[in-house]
Amino acid sequence: MHRKSTGYLFVLPALLVLGMLIAYPVAYTGLLSVTDNQGNLVGLDNFRAILGARATPTAFFNTLWWVVGSIVFQVVLGVLTAILLNQKFRGRAIVRSVTLIPWVVPGIVAATTWAWMLHTEFGIINYMLTAPGVLEEPVGWLTNGSTVLPVMIAINVWKMFPFVAIMVLAGLQSISNDLYEAARIDGASFWEEVWYVMLPQVRPVIVAVTLLLVIWALNHITIIYAITRGGPANRTLITPIQIFRTAFESVQFNQAAALSVMFFAVAITVVFFYIRTTAGNAGASK
Amino acid sequence: MFAFREEVMRVFKTAAILGLTVSGLALSAGWANAGEVTWWTPNFNEARARELAEKFQAANPDITINLEITTTDGLPQRILTALRSGSAPDIIDVQHGWVNGYAQNDLVVPLDDVVTEREDYVPAALNYVTWNDQLWALPYRIETHAIIYNKGDFVAAGLDPANPPQTWEEFIAAAEAMTKDGKSGFAVTGGGEVGNTIFRSLPFIWMAGGAIISDDGTEVLVNSPETVRAVQFYTDFYKNGISPSSTLENDGTANRRLFIAETVSMYQSGQFDINSIRQENPDIDVGVMTIPHPEGADTAAILGGWSLVLPTDAKNPEDAKKFLAFLGETESQAVLTDTFPARVSAMSAERFNDPILEVFKEMLPYGRPVPSHPNWVQISQAYFDGIQRILLGDEDVQTAMDGVAADIEALL
Amino acid sequence: MSDTTLKLKRTGMPMPLVIVGSALLVLVCLFPFWWMGLSSIKTLRELYTIPPIWWPSLPTLDNYRTVLFESNIPRYFLNSVVISVGSTALALILAIFASYGFARFDFKGKPALQSFVLIGQLLPTAAIIVPLFITLRVLGLVNSYWGLILVYMIITLPLSVWMLTSYFRAIPVELEEAAIIDGASRIGVLFRITLPLSVPGLVSVLVYAFVTTWNEFIFALCFATDSSVKTLPIGLAEFSTEFNTDWGAVMAASMVMTLPIAILFLSMQRLFVGGMTAGATKG
Repeated sequence: MHRKSTGYLFVLPALLVLGMLIAYPVAYTGLLSVTDNQGNLVGLDNFRAILGARATPTAFFNTLWWVVGSIVFQVVLGVLTAILLNQKFRGRAIVRSVTLIPWVVPGIVAATTWAWMLHTEFGIINYMLTAPGVLEEPVGWLTNGSTVLPVMIAINVWKMFPFVAIMVLAGLQSISNDLYEAARIDGASFWEEVWYVMLPQVRPVIVAVTLLLVIWALNHITIIYAITRGGPANRTLITPIQIFRTAFESVQFNQAAALSVMFFAVAITVVFFYIRTTAGNAGASK
Repeated sequence: MFAFREEVMRVFKTAAILGLTVSGLALSAGWANAGEVTWWTPNFNEARARELAEKFQAANPDITINLEITTTDGLPQRILTALRSGSAPDIIDVQHGWVNGYAQNDLVVPLDDVVTEREDYVPAALNYVTWNDQLWALPYRIETHAIIYNKGDFVAAGLDPANPPQTWEEFIAAAEAMTKDGKSGFAVTGGGEVGNTIFRSLPFIWMAGGAIISDDGTEVLVNSPETVRAVQFYTDFYKNGISPSSTLENDGTANRRLFIAETVSMYQSGQFDINSIRQENPDIDVGVMTIPHPEGADTAAILGGWSLVLPTDAKNPEDAKKFLAFLGETESQAVLTDTFPARVSAMSAERFNDPILEVFKEMLPYGRPVPSHPNWVQISQAYFDGIQRILLGDEDVQTAMDGVAADIEALL
Repeated sequence: MSDTTLKLKRTGMPMPLVIVGSALLVLVCLFPFWWMGLSSIKTLRELYTIPPIWWPSLPTLDNYRTVLFESNIPRYFLNSVVISVGSTALALILAIFASYGFARFDFKGKPALQSFVLIGQLLPTAAIIVPLFITLRVLGLVNSYWGLILVYMIITLPLSVWMLTSYFRAIPVELEEAAIIDGASRIGVLFRITLPLSVPGLVSVLVYAFVTTWNEFIFALCFATDSSVKTLPIGLAEFSTEFNTDWGAVMAASMVMTLPIAILFLSMQRLFVGGMTAGATKG
């Protein structure tokens, strides 16, 4: 009953619109990566130049930490929050709305507010910790080489876990009552219900959201750029920020394009394999 | 060699024109007609720019000046996007330091025929916007840093606020004397945009006889003994606890706020900070001193400020040049600037006679441009990373500057 | 709902855990926001103090007056509404069809096409901003609502397609098959059966697309240079000058920008709450 051509008809309009908008940018970036700023072909010179920069490997490993750290906490906290918000309790509507706030606050404002709250001298957080004597000395959250990247990850988690929570909550809401009833007939406890009913049922949503979070973490530079610009001493430099700085601060659009091409190749490979491995068991019909 | 990008661009342009003719679509915004000049100027310049535009229009009724107000956040990105995609306005306000990059990428046109009476300009301002022996912008505003200090803190530490320190040794002694009771004697920067720390540390390097790269851009001098001595001087303020513990996250604005909160006694900045301080904390008795120098050497500062450029893709370059020539006149320059004018003759205007500006004026002749090198931004980034490594305690000064030298070597 | 009719043990998260969890959640989510709100009613002198001030001695509404009556924020608010509503609606329509295609049909090259959908998201912003501007110029859409609406499709459409595909997959296919046997068309099935069953999913995608376009800064900055199309995030940037930021006004404007969305979401609560699930399985 599934005619193959019908499937194409459904997906075509979206693909056309996207194709129209990104075809030229993709071609343009590819072309820039193999030319110099006069438009002459230079082969792989740009790639060599950018790979030779001291910052490139640092940025690569920072990106890895940034992505993995952000995703793990976003997903775990997001799912736990969704389960909590799926409970029936008084004031649930308020809690649900409040949960959304970090995500709704403009990124640039959230970043500056956090930078200010975390400031060694002005910051309310150090004040709250030192005034009652929890800490002896104010902590340089953003100036200490070992805390700055974890702090950035924490802010990113704070900003994005509500999104996971809302998406998973929507999935939880669609679970049919029959499944819960069946579990209850079997005498399942709440946590067994979570493990055997809720999580398997929202798995497709979690799988999809995780991919989106990976893509986001790879491309969202607002938080880091607004707070540390990649510093101190490149401790928080991630590849997209390196690309941004190379293009718009150093005016080296060709090298930036070369780095973009490599970044894109790695990202698309990761995404493609992720889809291949998850598509098979994520519930496609037939 | 083939100019591939140009080729693609031309095809695209032709296709665009064809498509537009066929469909009969009229383009509205962004395409100025003859007699219209579009000028992008930042929000803090709006009132003065409007005043000058009206004056010019009154004298040239056939030319209309369209002001588009830009914001400082993201300004370099927005300008570059417009310049590179071929839909630039006719005139743009930019910082001196950006001009070189635009010139090297053919994004703006030379203005040698517009900037006349060059002997009347501060030479450093012209040097800034010169590349390949041509002038690529019309400088209209210049400024340098000085050291702003809290006179009350001087008195409290038993120092004479009327005789601020002159040499590095005196300065360190004064800063140490004021570092007590939770106050920091002198705040340096170690965070924010690269420019903040370049503006505050490079002058010390110059005074000590060092440099980051040689003037001709062929030699790396960042690990020379002179430079290392100055970097040591700069970073020691933090290492020795004279600069606040938040130094690594502070830029110029943060230092001003710490000064206003009365936890910092001295910091480097320009005259633009004076109003903020007076407004936000009128209790502080503000003093200004020239930047201290090593015994027997002259003081130094980086010359900062703004210029006007004419993009290569401007729709109406002829009228834009007329307007630029008008903006280059002494009377216009005296009005347009937020700080000091780039023309010496404009300096005699009444508004520059405020006594608090005296020291900033004294600093001007010591103002120098940053080196002009195609990769200056990356060079300064490498240097800034090195400074941060020292402040973080990762490396000592010599090791860090040796590392920076290796990075810069690859960029020359 | 069914738990009243059945005599089974009602399970749920232990109450103490719900209370502690909710309290913690509210605290973590609200604290920075509350700090923002507090800053918006502080006077300039009390904004930056050491130590920080918890409650201003002279709360002021001056910042709100500046934002509402002396800035372009009201106009930008309108622009933001038009652009966000337009791009969200368009993205949602396109995403519904595409997601349904991906969720319910098997066709050649599906993984490749699904990856293709994501390309726009994987290209770094810094790389696409200049060529996108050229595309918009060629289309004559610089400084127009349509320009930003289309650009935002690149950001929101891929993720919307992904989210909706997974929601559609979660709906039992048997429901649709029954309707098709009854003679309903594919489109009919989509609109009469699948969509009503995925309202929570649709709402969450809608909220996502709306919030993303509402807060986007860098594209808006580069593609909308005229105040007739500038959006709210640009308005925030306009409170900064070269060496200074009117921080109180930025915070007040942020509140003006954030609260309507939070309230909008509050009012959409009902759409999230079940109601449809019981009916689904009885069909």
